[in-house]
Amino acid sequence: MGCITNNPAARRYYRRLIVTLLLYAASLVVSIGVFIHFRPTGPLAYALAILPAIPVIGILAVFGLYLAEEKDEFQRFIGVQAMLWGIGGTLAVTTVWGFLENFVHVPHLQLILVFPIFWFFFGVSLPVLLARYK
Amino acid sequence: MKNRLRVLRAEREWSQADLAGRLEVSRQSVNAIETGKYDPSLPLAFKLARVFETTIEAIFSDEK
Repeated sequence: MGCITNNPAARRYYRRLIVTLLLYAASLVVSIGVFIHFRPTGPLAYALAILPAIPVIGILAVFGLYLAEEKDEFQRFIGVQAMLWGIGGTLAVTTVWGFLENFVHVPHLQLILVFPIFWFFFGVSLPVLLARYK
Repeated sequence: MKNRLRVLRAEREWSQADLAGRLEVSRQSVNAIETGKYDPSLPLAFKLARVFETTIEAIFSDEK
């Protein structure tokens, strides 16, 4: 995947990722700014609340495009494996935390944190996978 | 899966990077296949056979 190799698909992935992250930052600034200054209600409030989520979801699409465009099947394999670790880690942590919230007093896990948790496990698994196939 | 990639490369004095270039994959990919940690797909196995001008069976064996 991108951080392992330097090929055209990986370079496109990084470019798209940077653009998507900039769009995320811009949409966050717009949403927060409008909510603070204009206190919108109704459909506009819903639309503005969802606005920053669109580029966040776009990050998944960007990674999907990378997997579709990557010609090196081993790099695709590593990327998919890292995603599986990300999904598994996220499901494990959120499930354990959910039971903790139900039975003992732990802070509520904001759903907005699920996405970073996924990428945390994705990122941590990459060097482990690389070491395994070294 | 066992393979003879190292031998075939040595016969041609190719580095892993040389072979990776001919296959249009990364050097890590060649290393993972060569060390038996990753089994290539059928299209990549055919590509390997073409690069070495031999058959897939002459490169790979399903012996443990």
